[in-house]
Amino acid sequence: MNIKMKSIMKKYSIYTMIVTALVLVFASCVKDLDTVPLDPDEVTSATVYENPDSYYQVLAKLYAIYAVSGQQGPAGMPDISGIDEGFSNYLRQYWMAQELTTDEAVIAWNDGNISDFHDMDWTATNEFVTAMYNRIYYQVSLSNEFIRESSDAKLDERGFTGATKTAIQQYRNEARFLRALSYYHALDMFGSVPFVTEDDEVGAFFPEQISRADLFTYVETELIAVETGLADARTNEYARADKATAWMVLAKLYLNAEVYIGSPKYDEAVTYTGKVITAGYSLQDNYATNFLADNHLSNEIIFPIAYDGIHTKTWGGATFLIHAAVGGNMSAADYGIDGGWGGTRTTSALVKKFLPDASKSYFVNTKSTAVYPLIYVPGGHQGWAPDAVDCPTLASVNSDDNYEGYVNFPDAGNEFKINATPSWDENYGDNEPDNVLDQNGANLTAVDAGYYKINVNMATKAYTFEATHWGIIGDASPSGWGADTDMIYNPTTDEWTAEIYLTANEMKFRANDDWPINLGDSDMDGILEYGGGNIPVPEDGNYVVTLKLGSGDYTYTLTPEAVDSRAMFHKDGQTLEITNIGEFTEGWAIAKYKNLTSAGDAGSDLAFPDTDFPMYRLADAYLMYAEAVLRGGNGSAGLALDYVNLLITRAYGNDKNEIGSTDLTLDLILDERARELYWEGHRRTDLIRFGKFTTADYVWPWKGNVANGAAVDAKFNVFPIPSTDIGSNPNLDQNTGY
Amino acid sequence: MGQIYSKLKVAILLLIFAGITTVTFAQLVNVTGTVVDATDGSPLPGVTVLQKGTTNGTTTNMDGNYSLSVDRDQTLVFSFVGYSNQEILVSSTQINVQMVEKAELLSEFVVIGYGIQKKSDATGSVTAIGDEDFNKGMITSPQALLSGKVSGVQISGDGTPGGGSTIRIRGGSSLSASNDPLIVVDGIPLDNDGVSGSANSLNAVNPNDIESMTVLKDASATAIFGSRASNGVIIITTKKGKVGDALKVSYSGKGSFYTIPNQVDVLSGTKFRALVSGQYADNSNATDLLGGSYTNWQNEVLKPAYGQDHYLVASGAIKNLPFRVSVGYTDQDGILTTSSFERKTGAIALNPTFFDKHLKINVNAKVMREANRFASNGAISSAMLFDPTQSVLSGDQIYNGYTTWLQTDGSGLPITIATSNPLAMLNLREDISEADRKIGNIQLDYKFHFLPELRFNINAAGDYSSSNGTIFVPATAASDLTNEGVNNVYDQEKKNELLDAYLNYNTDIDAIDANIDFMAGYSWQHFWRSGTSLNRNQSLLEYSDYETESYLVSFFGRLKYSQSDKYLATFTLRQDGSSRFSPDNRWGLFPSAALAWKLGEEGFIEDLGIFSDLKLRLGYGITGQQNISGDYPYLARYTYGQDNAAYQFGDSFINTLRPEGYDKNLKWEETTTYNIGLDYGLFEDRIVGSVEYYLRETADLINYISVPAGTNLTNRVLTNIGSLENKGFEFSILGRPIVSDDLYWEVGANVAFNKNKITKLTATDDPNYIGEHTGGISGGVGNTIQIHTVGQSASSFFVYEQVYDDAGKPIEGLYVDRNEDGVITGDDRYHNESPAPKALFGFNSSLTYKNWDFSFAGRASIGNYVYNNVDSENGTLGNIYNSVGYLSNVVENALYTRFQSKQYFSDYYIQDASFLRMDHMTLGYQLNDVINNTADIHLSVTVQNAFVLTNYEGLDPEVFGGIDYNIYPRPRTILFGVKIDF
Repeated sequence: MNIKMKSIMKKYSIYTMIVTALVLVFASCVKDLDTVPLDPDEVTSATVYENPDSYYQVLAKLYAIYAVSGQQGPAGMPDISGIDEGFSNYLRQYWMAQELTTDEAVIAWNDGNISDFHDMDWTATNEFVTAMYNRIYYQVSLSNEFIRESSDAKLDERGFTGATKTAIQQYRNEARFLRALSYYHALDMFGSVPFVTEDDEVGAFFPEQISRADLFTYVETELIAVETGLADARTNEYARADKATAWMVLAKLYLNAEVYIGSPKYDEAVTYTGKVITAGYSLQDNYATNFLADNHLSNEIIFPIAYDGIHTKTWGGATFLIHAAVGGNMSAADYGIDGGWGGTRTTSALVKKFLPDASKSYFVNTKSTAVYPLIYVPGGHQGWAPDAVDCPTLASVNSDDNYEGYVNFPDAGNEFKINATPSWDENYGDNEPDNVLDQNGANLTAVDAGYYKINVNMATKAYTFEATHWGIIGDASPSGWGADTDMIYNPTTDEWTAEIYLTANEMKFRANDDWPINLGDSDMDGILEYGGGNIPVPEDGNYVVTLKLGSGDYTYTLTPEAVDSRAMFHKDGQTLEITNIGEFTEGWAIAKYKNLTSAGDAGSDLAFPDTDFPMYRLADAYLMYAEAVLRGGNGSAGLALDYVNLLITRAYGNDKNEIGSTDLTLDLILDERARELYWEGHRRTDLIRFGKFTTADYVWPWKGNVANGAAVDAKFNVFPIPSTDIGSNPNLDQNTGY
Repeated sequence: MGQIYSKLKVAILLLIFAGITTVTFAQLVNVTGTVVDATDGSPLPGVTVLQKGTTNGTTTNMDGNYSLSVDRDQTLVFSFVGYSNQEILVSSTQINVQMVEKAELLSEFVVIGYGIQKKSDATGSVTAIGDEDFNKGMITSPQALLSGKVSGVQISGDGTPGGGSTIRIRGGSSLSASNDPLIVVDGIPLDNDGVSGSANSLNAVNPNDIESMTVLKDASATAIFGSRASNGVIIITTKKGKVGDALKVSYSGKGSFYTIPNQVDVLSGTKFRALVSGQYADNSNATDLLGGSYTNWQNEVLKPAYGQDHYLVASGAIKNLPFRVSVGYTDQDGILTTSSFERKTGAIALNPTFFDKHLKINVNAKVMREANRFASNGAISSAMLFDPTQSVLSGDQIYNGYTTWLQTDGSGLPITIATSNPLAMLNLREDISEADRKIGNIQLDYKFHFLPELRFNINAAGDYSSSNGTIFVPATAASDLTNEGVNNVYDQEKKNELLDAYLNYNTDIDAIDANIDFMAGYSWQHFWRSGTSLNRNQSLLEYSDYETESYLVSFFGRLKYSQSDKYLATFTLRQDGSSRFSPDNRWGLFPSAALAWKLGEEGFIEDLGIFSDLKLRLGYGITGQQNISGDYPYLARYTYGQDNAAYQFGDSFINTLRPEGYDKNLKWEETTTYNIGLDYGLFEDRIVGSVEYYLRETADLINYISVPAGTNLTNRVLTNIGSLENKGFEFSILGRPIVSDDLYWEVGANVAFNKNKITKLTATDDPNYIGEHTGGISGGVGNTIQIHTVGQSASSFFVYEQVYDDAGKPIEGLYVDRNEDGVITGDDRYHNESPAPKALFGFNSSLTYKNWDFSFAGRASIGNYVYNNVDSENGTLGNIYNSVGYLSNVVENALYTRFQSKQYFSDYYIQDASFLRMDHMTLGYQLNDVINNTADIHLSVTVQNAFVLTNYEGLDPEVFGGIDYNIYPRPRTILFGVKIDF
């Protein structure tokens, strides 16, 4: 130790040295606390954007938010929490909110408050409403972060130039589009909501609530602002947004403007649907191919949410859409999956939109205007009430003493009487029995249940009755003149019906597979005569044939059953009407989405479909254009009609069902939207626009949790702001009524 | 370990620091002498020599010498920590004393954080349980030793072989963060995360090696552990050899037989057949599915099992080197078929002393290797649900021969949503793991030669574990046909390192009849872990790995002051720095203060002649909680997505990159505890015990909570919002009604009441905010049955109020419209009970008569409610037939309620699960001096889980968390034990 050191030792006491040394050592230990993630899969925000590839990957995340539920497929690293990850998926939530609330879908399950959707009694604590809302803001928040990090200033700061910079600028426009899309969902579903943009840094603050009208303006402005910065229609990479996607959202915004801001924007709706329609998309020849595992090949889909069995796995999205719709006796293999979940079906309200149009029938059931003398057949089949409206009658078409009619006795041993008037004043039975009526005689009895032809001569009091079952015979029918095609009796309508393929030949009706009782139409007036002439069938095709007997004129209809190829129902083992929503087999199943290619091969994975979800299709643009014109938008009525007829022609495979300009009404548009776009996530918005979502104007089975359907409070036209957000943000006011 | 060495520098500097501190006292000389250790004659420095009844005293120097001016005919009292006091009449000027080490160290002393303390001087709520008092039986986990022994400590073990237990001390102080207590083994605070592939994080400690377990309950005792102490601390001390002991070898062996106490009452094959035939008389699709067998599936999956445990220990001293070496072997099969546990442990403890006992060195090393086969608990519910008319095997080769529900389309494919064959689930799934763990530490305790009142203690420790496991299911198994089987491999490596050092200065200040004990120290801990996982199924390889670490740096100090041995005060302060929080929030200060008044030493109490001990304690302290998932919750991070969550752009699939939600201001939660306690001893300590009342308020709860929409990068982030409180009362009593040479009887009981209430949950205090849903149930997807709500107990059940008919039967789907709005919606749910018991009782007794001994211990829990998810999920008639083509059995309850569809949220299923469980009863016999007088043998027979008294209708009322589903049944164990001491 040299002199100098010694002097230092003197100058500073040993205490100071020790304290200094201690401070140094502790400081080094304390420095250990400054850790950074060791895992290369986790990067800090400070460094992530140094690599331009990160922008592309974050952009992929922004799109993937709609498709999957987190960073691990099908589940494991969720984006949002507080709800089962599979359920939390954006598309699954969106689909449920838009479809389960309407006539198009019900779900059998018991998950949480899922039944609130179809019951239409959701509250601010409903976890699915909450999840939808959280998904929207997940998209908004992540887009904000991306937009913040891709500002021109940041790009310059990070030294990006040339093509790299240009590409990132386009990503930024796509991010702004995606944010606008989700804000559009917020606008549509929640109305007035909290508002955050890229100017709001991540942190603890309370966002202000924006009015529905201001949000409308914001979304509109954003979409118009980014439009030029997006790729031209149909030029971007598959599944990425382009100009046409933005036009489509703008068109939706304008078409619904009366709902959103109380003033119409139909001119704008016409403009933007027009841009989409002329952008080069074309209808697929086969409607069904839009919903199959290889639907990425469809030239009709404007914006898909893309799925892949290997690379894009989720329990929501297409996995849910296809699995949940398969149950009952449906074969999973027919849908390219490993097994159904037995959840979603439809109500009869949708099915009935596909039923044959009675206005196109041949030979409408029109009875003649003649008034015939009647006698009455009260009994156990109707409650022994001769004065009741439903009391069957026998008519004397020639106004003589001969009365005839057909009466259905549903139960064996059914007793009845013949009354001369709709009272008990003059009633007849048969005491012996000897086929001769006795006044005030013993009850008559139908030994077997059945549909009886009854003849009474009121002069002689002789009577006959004979059970009948009816069929169609003739060279127009598949069995020719040799055998009958049986018809089915419907006690509700008191009609016999058959769905049958008929050729352009002749046919007759006959009872009990024999000729003694047969009906034809000699004068082709729609009223049948015993032994009448053969009925000529006008053209080949499927027909619904009905035969209406009862008393008086016997009539029939031949309604060409045009096959709408969009009616993809699975009926086998399913009832049409629903008495218990929890039973999958009640309500017809929907066979629209499949994990099969158009060649019939299963997708790449039986559990996770390849099928992309068509968020926007050309067909939607056609119907929107037509509706906007009908509602007064400045467009071509002719084009509007043409567009609708394009869809109808594709649906039927021919132009025979095309409509005329007078047929093109708003009601038709709404029904056509159901037929064309059911289960594609549009229905709730459509019903609200048509004023039919909550009102008594239109009800469907189990609307408002009532079997026949009932109106509900108008507050349900928007969802409530979830209580979780009301609880954490004091700036928010709840939507009216909640 | 490398980092530890660098930290040694700190210790050396502390030594230097210590050298400059001196304290001296004026002395007079009259009586002189030397005080030595009675066993080895080594001088004892620092022994207190006191003239009895005065404050006149001194301490021995480094050579054990003392001198004291004292009058003749007075008595000198010699006292020293760890030795028995000696009183000697002054009859000469030379008094040499041999001090005798206390045999029953534990009865007088308790281990506290960074030191030991005379139990009578404890100011906090500290309960020590020695090995004599541990629970008996086939106990593989250290936690189980304590069950029912300490008031306010709830220990709930599971039935799995080698499985762990959940410990709650005075209820939970956290909502989202961990509620597990800090466990300190031989001075090493463990991390709470456990080892993957190991069912219990404490398996590395063989219960046979444990000398004592000390439970620190209130903050005045735990605050010295700072940010990890909010849920109490359990200090485990292992056994050591002693200087002067002859070599002792001891063997103990146990053989155990596990039986199944009871089964879930599902329908028998006969009843099920009748039910299906009746319900679906006109649906042949359903009745055609019925099989021709009568299978009790629970009998098939739950089988009696056997276990064995061997333990060999040698201890003694080689000259001045006391040692203890032990090896253990445990092999246990689970009653759920295929589950098993095998463990080998080794432990070595060396505790030599040097320099006339001035330097004590403690070396502990523990090694463990365990092998597990885990059985899928899902097989338990499948065994309840699988159609009892089916046979186990189908008779076909397909699906490995196991009966499987097949799709009705003739494809031969299994129905994916149908119940899996429980035996296929067990036998075809090979879920095995191996874990190795080594825990070691070196502790140096140096008493300064020139100042024996000053002690320096340094402890360097390492805890290393590595584990790996595989899960294999063949591609032919019906359950994993779509995946083409399961073939997963995972491994994990963990390194936790510790260095701590402290100085302790302890002296009497005779002038004022006081004692001061001051301690200051420093601690550094590093937690590191990494792991990989590889899923190989289909043509796809899914590989993932992680590596993460955290550090904890702390400074702490404690001042204990004792006045006249009657008035005691303790103050502690700890400053913790954690790498899990941002530099701005990294440091937390945790103070505590405690006062105690030894009333028993006061004349007016002594005069009563009843109390042998009476002490009033008051404590206050703040502790922290930082045990949260993730090591970087405050950092803004981005995470790469996996290959199967990629998104298609064009023809490529792009791996996504996601920003994570975070709270940059995250910090630990703080719990403030107020404690008042009274320790009492009556009739010469024939009856001892304590009474305590406490209030714990946790603020800044670390909670996954909804943030205002749009403000963060996910909907819920880990942040500090909310507060809750626990209030409680505890009482314990231990009596020794009979103490004689032949007969000794001890009986103990304790009771604890705790009330938990959430007092704040959101930033806005919105009174309409219903709360955060929690408690996911089986059935449906994402259904929850519990909720955290302000003003209610945490995890209260949140349900509809069931309406009953006149006969008291629940009416399906009919609930009380509590908000009277005419419809039943989610808003009609209400807060029912909570799973936390309102009162916990523990009781135990041991009786020794000559060579016989008999002991038992049990627990009771009152007011704990359980959601009977077994009945709610499997108790409906509408689900026995699924039109996809399979049948499901139901519980008997379905025949009572006749519910058609599931009523998950009915309060009918919230059931009182109060219970009394006899944990063990043991009868033993001691044979002394056998085998040519070389050995003592103790034989015992034990029944564990002997019986349970409860009104609960489910399988077992003890359901941690309160949702009863898929519970691994706790076996009833009959065990034969032998212990041979050579």
